[in-house]
Parts: sequence; structure tokens; C-alpha cells
Amino acid sequence: MEKWLGSASLALTLILGWAVWDAAQQEWERVQRTYYRLALSGAQTEAEKEWARSQRIELKQLQLKERGTVERCVSCHLALENPMFRNFPEPLRKHSSLLESHPPKQFGCVACHGGEGRAVTALEAHGQGGILAKPLLKGDYMQAACYNCHGLKTLPPRVTAAVVRGRQLVNRYLCLGCHKINGDGGEEGPELSTVGSDRSWIWLYAHLARPQGVVAGSTMPVFSLNREEIKDITVYLMTLLDSRDQLKNLPLLAKRAAKDYPTERPEDERNHGDIKFAADKGAVKFAYDGNILFRGAGCNLCHMLGIRGGEVGPALTYIARKRDGENLERLLKDPEEVLPGGKMPQLYLNERQIKALVGFLSTLS
Amino acid sequence: MDGHPNRVLGFLAALRALGRQLYRSIFRGSYPASLRQQLAVVVNNLILHVHPTRVFRRSLSPQTTFGLGLICFYLFIIEWVTGVYLMFYYEPSTGAAYGRILDLDYVITFGRLMRNLHRWAAEAMVVAVALHMCRVFYTGAYKPPREFNWILGVVLLLLTLALSFTGYLLPWDQLSFWAVTVGTNIVSYAPVLGPKLRFVLLGGDSVGSDALLRFYTLHVLAVPALAALIINYHIWRVVKDGGLAHPLQRHPGGEEKTAPAPRTDPVIPTFPLVVYAELLVFVVLMAGLVAASLLFDAPLEEEANPLRPSNPSKAPWYFLGLQELVSYSAFWGGVMVPTVLTLFLLFLPYFDRKAGGEGVWFARERMGMIIVWTVILAGIVVTTVIGVFLRGPNWSFYWPWQGWPGPQ
Repeated sequence: MEKWLGSASLALTLILGWAVWDAAQQEWERVQRTYYRLALSGAQTEAEKEWARSQRIELKQLQLKERGTVERCVSCHLALENPMFRNFPEPLRKHSSLLESHPPKQFGCVACHGGEGRAVTALEAHGQGGILAKPLLKGDYMQAACYNCHGLKTLPPRVTAAVVRGRQLVNRYLCLGCHKINGDGGEEGPELSTVGSDRSWIWLYAHLARPQGVVAGSTMPVFSLNREEIKDITVYLMTLLDSRDQLKNLPLLAKRAAKDYPTERPEDERNHGDIKFAADKGAVKFAYDGNILFRGAGCNLCHMLGIRGGEVGPALTYIARKRDGENLERLLKDPEEVLPGGKMPQLYLNERQIKALVGFLSTLS
Repeated sequence: MDGHPNRVLGFLAALRALGRQLYRSIFRGSYPASLRQQLAVVVNNLILHVHPTRVFRRSLSPQTTFGLGLICFYLFIIEWVTGVYLMFYYEPSTGAAYGRILDLDYVITFGRLMRNLHRWAAEAMVVAVALHMCRVFYTGAYKPPREFNWILGVVLLLLTLALSFTGYLLPWDQLSFWAVTVGTNIVSYAPVLGPKLRFVLLGGDSVGSDALLRFYTLHVLAVPALAALIINYHIWRVVKDGGLAHPLQRHPGGEEKTAPAPRTDPVIPTFPLVVYAELLVFVVLMAGLVAASLLFDAPLEEEANPLRPSNPSKAPWYFLGLQELVSYSAFWGGVMVPTVLTLFLLFLPYFDRKAGGEGVWFARERMGMIIVWTVILAGIVVTTVIGVFLRGPNWSFYWPWQGWPGPQ
């Protein structure tokens, strides 16, 4: 019995030692040591040297009283405001000049960059693993964060260009045919009004590229989007936040209001009233051959023809047996009249387009 | 010491003397060598005196109890210690709770380890208490004179579930918020009193800041204090009821009698072997728990958001059998089954009165009751497994290899 007890105790001691060793490994301590060493070697004046020598290795955090939270990104990103580190690689790199208009003591980091501000390892803080996955917004994806506070009107157009392009694409690909966004749209797919709060941009990107790879059994059609288009749509979707996420930045917006900027986004932007299918200048120019038009208008995304096509709507392989030309014409002109409450979106086709399509569909029997 | 020729040896001798003095002052005497001293140790030590001075040799062999009752006790102590550590940092308010949990996980020294330990020990405690009860049933250890201690055990099972359930809400993440919403909804299915009961439990009609404060108070003060009291009584009764249940002695004439213990079952002093065995169980349990806590993190989702229900919303896993039944019928699943089951457990020793089979696993003469119990147990396990693994969005059925529709 003593032997068993002895070896079990030894095992427990080793495991506890592992726990202590685990707790003693702190990524940010290594980064801080490196930073102060670099700061010391690059110091020009005696005062700078003295400063670098006198710094303690300690956890640092930004107390964001207005937003009722703390962010510890600065435990590693120490060189935010140090001009000496202008061209250093991350994490020790000076921030761009945007920091002057967005002082970190007030704004923190997460408001623009996303991520998990309380975490102190790169993996967890950048949302690439660990307990929660809130991936950092990178590159053009940060436009969503700019837009969420500023809207479109007060910023140079290129800063929110991806949001605008994304919204045009949502329009062009008839996303509202199936998805509802702020009151407009169909019921077939999930509502997207708060999708930016529900999903990360990585999820949205992967899902747009191949819906069935992310959601098993999804009936969402595979749109043949290129990378730029997927990115732009993702950026736009990231601007669709729930009320809590919108309120999160309200204290910061209140400051902005004090500087005489408009606090409210213009009404048409807020409720996305400008998303109307035919209104978009970027809409596809239809060819007037029914067969080509069938693909050009995206019918095959939802409807099966032979063995190809989507599964959202009914297969159209033998549609002419079920509906005659007049019925098809009425249906294409106003789906709601023929199929009240159906999923079929209003496509806003003109007379000639409808004639061409009906001609093609009537051959399917 | 003064007169010692070698200073080093003299110092070591003095150190040994100090060690002996320390040991004697703590344990009130030197290390027990003789049988008489070994028996006295148990009587004279505050912690050990809950043991009898001698136990049957068979109490020491693992297959008698698998140490399950002891493991439940240790897990309770581990919960206590890690719980105090967590209490240093936790704040039971809806605005701060989730942030505190994140801080525990991200920056507080040993915070994540302690939270993981607390979580895994809690899950283990539910399992261990259930297994302990099965052991007691299958060895017929609730037969007279141990009927009342069985009732105490059932109460402790309910308190364990209450502890686990009240603790479930405290992280204030999506998982805990919706699990408690669902769990308290099951309560409200009780006739007449159900909705009132739920109101009292939550301090309102929905899970909010009052519910959090209420669950916190229950979790850290009321329920553990009551449980500690009953655990003491439960253990004390084990000793007073004659120790572990042991097989009946068969007299040459054929008549059965419970006491005195048969000569063929040898008796050993509690100290040192039993005490060492108990320590061994603790060390092994602790090593396993710490290793598990270093390897696997306790679950944590996004901060609770009452506007965004998770789908499926599942109660804590030990209530998922109930939730599965509730999905068929709220009244039968949510009220009748749990009530009947609890009453059955509580009064089992008073209607299963046939003597025989004490201290023997799966005794042949108790086969009827054993089959009844096993069928009930299988029902609980099957419904729980269905609830945990096979239910997806909208409580639809999915095999594990089938993907759930909708985003994960």
C-alpha cells in the first residue's frame, strides 16, 4: 500500500508541477522583454535609455470606462505610439496615424479590430482558437468597423468602398429573394439582419464560397463568385449588427456627436431602403435568348433542369407539361399573383425578356 | 546537542528532534507501532475518529465499494476549495459576471485551472453520486438497519444536482443562460405550483439579474452548507449502522443472523491500511482531475444574450433525459416521471423489505428488484444519451454522423 501511495503521490506532484510550469509560461512577458531590449538598443538619448531600463515587466490593460470593459492588447502591442518602431513587424509596430483621431485610452482596440480584448495570448486574443473564436478584422474587412460607426457620408469613399460594393453585389445576386434583411426579402433562407453579430467574417467567407461545406445540407445555391466579390459581400454582411453590438459603440459615437458630426446614419442607409432589385446600375444585362437568359438571370441557381441546378425551387425539366405559356408569363411578371406566399422572387424582367424565357420554358415537356 | 563532537551531526540530530516534537504536537503521540497504539490513533484523532477502530478485511478490497462514496466526499471537498478560489474573483451581476469568468480564464494565475477543476469535479460528482447509489442498490446496502441512511443519500443526490444546476448559470454565457431557462421551464410544468415555483427560483419571470444573484447565493452558501451537514450525518450513520454492509452469517442450523460478524471474515485495524487506502483514492482522483483540467477547458460560449436563443437550447446534461421526456409530454415528462422517480428512490428501503442479499453484488434472491432498477437506470441513460447526442435544432433527431442543418 505504501508503494502505491508513494508512486501516486509522485505522479500528483509531477502533474502539479506541470500546472505551475504551465502558469509560468506567459507569452506577453517574452514580448515585453524583447520590446524593452530593442528600445534600449535603439535609444538615442540618455533619457530614452533610462526609460527603457526602468520599465517593469507587467500586464498592461486599457480601462475603457465608457464601454465598461478592459482590453489587454497593449500587453504585447507596446510600441503603438513609439515612433522608433515605425517599420517593425507585429506585435511591436507603431500604429498608423489613425490613432491620433482614435486615442486608444478612449477607443481601445476591439472597436475597430475585433478580437477578444481580455485575452493575453495571440491565439486567444486574435480569436484563432482557445475558448472563444472572435477573429480579428484584417485588411479590407476593417471597413465594416469603420462603417459601423461612421456610416458612408463622413468618410472618404475608398474607406468604405467594399461595403458599397458588397451591397451592390447583394442586390445583383438577388440575395433578398431568399433572405430577409431589415424587413425586406424572402423567407426561404435565414434572416440576415443581424448576421454580422451572429457570425465571424471567416465563417461568412467560407459559407459564401461553398455553403454546403459550412452548413451540411444547405439548399443555398453555389454562386460562382470570385474572391473579391466574396470579400465585398462579407464586409457588407459584417455591418449588419444586432442592437446590442450597435449600442456597444454608442459612448464613442456620443463623443463624435459633440464634435458636430451627424449621430444618425441617413435614414435610407439605416433601413437599407435603397436595396431594390432593379434599381441597381450594376445589374446583369440580360441576353434575350431564352436558353441563355435562363442561366444569365440565375434561374438555375434555384431550379433544376435535367440533372443540373439548385434545389430551392421545383425542378423545371418538364415545366411545360404543368404550366402553359400564358401562365408562365403571368408568373414571371408577378410571382406573388400566381404563387401567393411562394419563394419565387420578383425578377423585374421586361416584356422581351419574359417572352424569351417563356419561349424557352415552353419547350420543356 | 551542546556536547556533540561534530557540529553537522549535532545539527541534524537537533533537526530530527524538532521533527519528532512537531509530529507529536500535531498527532498527540509518536507514530503508532503496536496494535494497541494503532487502535488508539483512530479514537484520538479528530479526522480519523469517524472510522471504527477495526474494519472487515473485505472493506479494503476495491470491488467492495470501488471507493465511490469516498470519491463523492473528496469531490465535494475539491469543489469547496476551488469554489472559494473562484469566489475571490467572481461577481454575481449580469454586467460583470461574464467578464470575470473571462479574466479567470485569461489572466488570473491558476484561474483557468481552478475553473476547469471546479467544472470537471462537479460533472464527476454527479456521475460519482449516481454510481455510488447504484453500488449501494446492487449490493443491497439499504436493507435494515441502513434504510434511513439511504434516504439521506437520496437527499444528497438531489442536493448534488441542485449544486450543479445553480452553478451552471454563474458564467452567464449563452450556454448557461439558455440551459437554465430550459431547466426552470421544466419546473413550471408542475401543476398549480409550477409557475410560482419558477418565479421564486428566478426572482422574476425570466432569467435576469435577480436569478443570477439567487442562484449564486444558493450555490455558494445555502446548498453547500446543507449538503455539508447531511454529508456529515450520512458518514456518521455509516459507522453507527455497523460499517459497510456485509454478507449475512449462515449458522450451521441454516438460520440467518446479521451479527456478530462471522469468524471467517477477518478483521484488521483501520490504521494504517484503511487510512492509506483512503489517501490513495484521493491522490489518484486529484491527479486525474488536475490532468484533465490541464488538458480540457471548461466550456464557455459568448456572453448571455436574451435576444438570441440558442437552437437547440439544452438543459444541463443530467436533466436532458427529463427534457427528452418533456418533448413528448410536458406533464408526464416534466412532472409525473420525476416525482414518481424521486418518491420511488426515497422510499425504496420501505417497500423492498425482503431480507437477504446484503453486501453481495447482484444477489440471486433480489433478482426482481435488480431487474426493476436496471430497467429504470437503462431508461434514464438512454433518454439522456438521446438528449445529449442525438437531438439537434428544434429538438429534431439526428444521428451523430448526420450534420445539423443550419450553422454550427
